[in-house]
Amino acid sequence: MAAAIEVRGLGVQFRRNRRGRRSFKDLFASASRRTRPGEFWALRDVSFDVQPGESIGVVGRNGQGKSTLLRLVAGVLLPDEGSVAVNGGVAPLIELTGGFVGDLTVRENVRLTAGLHGMPKSEIASRYDEMIAFAELEEFQETPYKHLSNGMKVRLAFSVVSQLDEPILLVDEVLAVGDKAFRDKCYKRIDELLAEGRTLFFVSHNERDLRRFCTRGLYLNKGALVLDAGINEVLDRYNSDSMPQA
Amino acid sequence: MSRAAVGAPGTPRRYLHSLWLLSARDLKVRYATSFLGYLWSVLDPLVMSAIYWFVFTQVFKRDVGEDPYIVFLISALLPWVWFNSSVSDFTKAFKKDSRLVRSTNIPRSIWVNRIVLSKGMEFLFSLPVLVLFAIFSPGTEFGWGILWFPVAMALQVILLVGLGMLVAPLCALYADLERTTGLILRALFYATPIIYSVSNLPGPFETIGSFNPLAGIFTLYRMAFFPDQWHLDTVLIGAVITLAIFVLGQWVFRTLERPVLKEL
Repeated sequence: MAAAIEVRGLGVQFRRNRRGRRSFKDLFASASRRTRPGEFWALRDVSFDVQPGESIGVVGRNGQGKSTLLRLVAGVLLPDEGSVAVNGGVAPLIELTGGFVGDLTVRENVRLTAGLHGMPKSEIASRYDEMIAFAELEEFQETPYKHLSNGMKVRLAFSVVSQLDEPILLVDEVLAVGDKAFRDKCYKRIDELLAEGRTLFFVSHNERDLRRFCTRGLYLNKGALVLDAGINEVLDRYNSDSMPQA
Repeated sequence: MSRAAVGAPGTPRRYLHSLWLLSARDLKVRYATSFLGYLWSVLDPLVMSAIYWFVFTQVFKRDVGEDPYIVFLISALLPWVWFNSSVSDFTKAFKKDSRLVRSTNIPRSIWVNRIVLSKGMEFLFSLPVLVLFAIFSPGTEFGWGILWFPVAMALQVILLVGLGMLVAPLCALYADLERTTGLILRALFYATPIIYSVSNLPGPFETIGSFNPLAGIFTLYRMAFFPDQWHLDTVLIGAVITLAIFVLGQWVFRTLERPVLKEL
């Protein structure tokens, strides 16, 4: 069976300070392997395969490239070297509330976001009630999105994106928000999706969540893939690395 | 697991689907959030037309030799509003929707093209104004030149898409360009034959002016009412420059897509 995600020699460069001078020469310079001053590799030489149905946890301290990796897999960031091949669509739970428009109502927003991910009108219509029920927003369907509370926004976003039919689910630390009752519901939903055989790509600092959902772990440090092994082994290594030097 | 989707990602069908959803969203936001809604897309050109009509025909008593002047004005002002509002939206094309760009993987050119499309729809909605003035202004001629109208629209779409691919990524990377674009647009309004016609330009400016692709496009828009405005050189040069800008825009967009995504 073909791999769900195939990452080969992946590298991406960022500028160290945003105010750095950007010259029009950049227009003509191709993204080559040389490092210009003031730039650093957020990720480099990362390679791995993910099989369909696997659930992978990405571990690492802040700023070591976890979210960057997720954005590359989601296709909303382009690599400077190497490649990411994704078989099938991706349901991204990153920047959760990003796709919604403040001035439109909840109903219009659901149609827009689901539509942008390729869900046909008839399908949206038949799942609409389920989405609203999951987000517990029955009373607010005609409310402009900007008038929802932060918790409601996240609930709506999670319930729409998790209803997408994409075979790969990307989750970036979004479960930290929302109250406990809703978090439990989200966990149940993710369990269901995993049981259906979807591939999960999970970024979190929460060890319990990682051990609960993932079977395999990727440990990123300073933009390099340090360890690719079972989730328990990866977490143990991560914990021993981040121990304060006594 | 059922796999229902509107075409696979990357197919033209999926592209059009996303493009349409976002353009419809723009229009909905525009028309749903204000009382005046539709009027806004008409009011702006109308007020401008009234001002120029008053200044040139009542104050200076120096018309450009085209009668009725109000029809002459509106037939270029409406497309100008389309051009102007699109280009000023290009400057914030990525920033305004940065969170959506950062989270949803759709072809990036949609962020530009949806502006051209939604502003183009507003242009179409505003056309009844032109029709009304043409009907009720005494002495309006009307002829087969109307067939040039869709040609002009097609050229303007190509020009706008090219410019958008050029302006949108550059503005996302270089913050200064946003204001620069605003200034250029203001100057361009007077440098373009909107309140006057190409042949009004004195001496060498007539040649220089025809290198402005809008000159050729607006000439075509006016063919229905002012067939004597036909200016072959201007139209041909305009078409060539339009295509050149389109090609340049595609290249710039492809080169800058990667840094723009990092910048957001």
